[in-house]
Amino acid sequence: MLKTQGLGYWYQDKAQPLFQDINLEFDVGQSYAILGHSGTGKTTFLSLIAGLDKPKAGDILLDDRSLNQIGLTNYRRHEVSIVFQAYNLFTYMSPLNNLLTAMAITGTEHAGDKAFALKTLNDLGIGADLATRNVQHLSGGQQQRVAIARTMAGDAQLVVADEPTGNLDEDNTQAVIEQFQRIAHDRQKCVIIVTHEPDVAAQCDHQYRLENKQFTKLS
Amino acid sequence: MNFFKRAWLNVWAKKGRSVLLILVSSAILMFVLAGLLIRSAAVKATAQAKADVGATVTLSANRQAAFKQMQNSSSSSSKSSRPKMTLTPVKLSDAAKIASLDNISSYNVTSSTSVNAKSYDTVATSSGLSGGGSGGPGGMKSSTSTGDTQIDGVTSTSLATAFSSKQSKITKGRGITTADKNTNHVVIEKDLASQNKLTVGDTITVKETAGSKDKVKLKIVGIYKASATSSSSAGPMSTDPANTMYTSYTLANTFKGSKYAGTADSVTFNVSNPAKISSVKAAGKKLINTSKYALSTDDSSYQTVKAAMSNVASFANKIVWLVAIAGTIILALIVILMIRERRFEIGVLLSLGEARWKIVAQFFTEMLMVIVVAVAIAGAGGQFVGNQLGSQLVSQSTTTTQTTSVTGQHGGSGTPGGGMKGGNGGPSNLGQNAGSKTAKTDLDVSVSAVNLAELGGFGLAITFLSIMIASGGILRLEPKKVLIS
Repeated sequence: MLKTQGLGYWYQDKAQPLFQDINLEFDVGQSYAILGHSGTGKTTFLSLIAGLDKPKAGDILLDDRSLNQIGLTNYRRHEVSIVFQAYNLFTYMSPLNNLLTAMAITGTEHAGDKAFALKTLNDLGIGADLATRNVQHLSGGQQQRVAIARTMAGDAQLVVADEPTGNLDEDNTQAVIEQFQRIAHDRQKCVIIVTHEPDVAAQCDHQYRLENKQFTKLS
Repeated sequence: MNFFKRAWLNVWAKKGRSVLLILVSSAILMFVLAGLLIRSAAVKATAQAKADVGATVTLSANRQAAFKQMQNSSSSSSKSSRPKMTLTPVKLSDAAKIASLDNISSYNVTSSTSVNAKSYDTVATSSGLSGGGSGGPGGMKSSTSTGDTQIDGVTSTSLATAFSSKQSKITKGRGITTADKNTNHVVIEKDLASQNKLTVGDTITVKETAGSKDKVKLKIVGIYKASATSSSSAGPMSTDPANTMYTSYTLANTFKGSKYAGTADSVTFNVSNPAKISSVKAAGKKLINTSKYALSTDDSSYQTVKAAMSNVASFANKIVWLVAIAGTIILALIVILMIRERRFEIGVLLSLGEARWKIVAQFFTEMLMVIVVAVAIAGAGGQFVGNQLGSQLVSQSTTTTQTTSVTGQHGGSGTPGGGMKGGNGGPSNLGQNAGSKTAKTDLDVSVSAVNLAELGGFGLAITFLSIMIASGGILRLEPKKVLIS
């Protein structure tokens, strides 16, 4: 589904890349974890495959089409869904409106379907009473579940998550990881999680470590 | 259009911020509206001034030409006889021709003379100058003695300066009108009436000072009160103002003598459009014998109002633009700060694949919602601010203009009080300014639908510019920098 071909990235000095010549493949129905220490470039890698930035070298292909061909805005709207460590919800909205807004922007087949949005939230433990409150009145775990629900409500085949459990306690972490696994296996999406927590990575189907400018497959 | 919904949710969720924005926008728009109101009121007032104040063209004897003729005849004739300046009375037939010109709305015929009291006593002046017998030195060359009662013959008292400028007003009965032509009806002064216990309907007798010196009975149809400062007389030798009576010009002509029938001292034409006064004068000159008659114009009242209103309109214009520019800058700064605070939200929208123009449209819609409420508030409050500012501006501007005007006119030409040959010297310069009214320069500052539409336009423009200035950041924003730190 998603391929990187000779991917490379650097900030100022081309001679000191974060990573270079990366060739990876990601498929639907699978979950992937990318491990690495801080500053190794794993979040930058995620921003490239999420279409938030452009690679300095190489290319990224979605179903054999370059992201440049698809267009980054178009790619972000229809092909990829992103979950952030800081949840990044619309703080002036309720969970329900967060979902409805995202569904409207991305133009999913369920756009405007309030019942579908409520059901998606309910599946993640956000009941009707919480669904209409302002998101700022929810706990961190609940907010992250809303963020995941936003991903699940969309039609995008690729789900990328940047340290999705970074702000969560153990229980919530486990619940969130289980949700990602369901998204991958039940909904047949490709889930790529960037994390520095080995326990989280261990629960994914595949693990990669970014070290010394290269990706190493762990399992 | 999802951005409409987002805009509404944001405005509603952040009520405190929205209220503050509404207050700031209202304050800005209130001053814009005040400026718009004053400007449109000044334009209206200037147009109204044309109708209210008007301007006049006066047809009278050509004194300058008559003086030259007198000088020529004195050099050619023997020195035994003293030369006389002969002023030709204005022919009413000439006046009728001029009255038929475009832009002449009405005209007032003036014919002054004096008679002697017979059945009543004139009011004596406090200066010790007895009213009896001392005719006014109006300059009119008289071939006979002057009387103690001033007769101001007019077409209508309402057109005479003293009445139109509110210096005199009818307190009982009525004024002289065109219906009093060829009648012996008279309007007398209140003091004269009370001194002689006269009232409306009574008859008084006067004695002509010219011609056959007949006694003539006059019927009082009205009593007027002259203001404390008003005087139709001129100079220390004049009669007391209370001894001035108003009659139809036909009766005044009768007192002067039969050869004055169909004539007048002067005729004042009211020009409906003061801007056309020059063309009216030029057209009028073609209809008269300029060696005998002169046409003089007076649009000073109109010019005073026009100058005052121009100052106000110009100042209001500056207010509008100054406030609009300052408002745009203030709002733009607020919006820039507001957008900087919302970088994260913009990043999320961009990560969802939202088009940048739709994000800008969301902010514009939010500001538009604020501006709509602000326009309503400003519409209610702008009237008050406009009234206060307008009256202050007018009083300052009018005072300045009138001071300049008075200074400029100091020592200016007097009205030709020159007597007509055979006529009785009258002290009056009545009628020269008949029709000129006191400049009314109140501003009618009221909010109309047009004003609100203009304000809405300004509000829209200010909002649009503010958002455009502030949106530079949105268009350059990279989601990675915002979302992934």
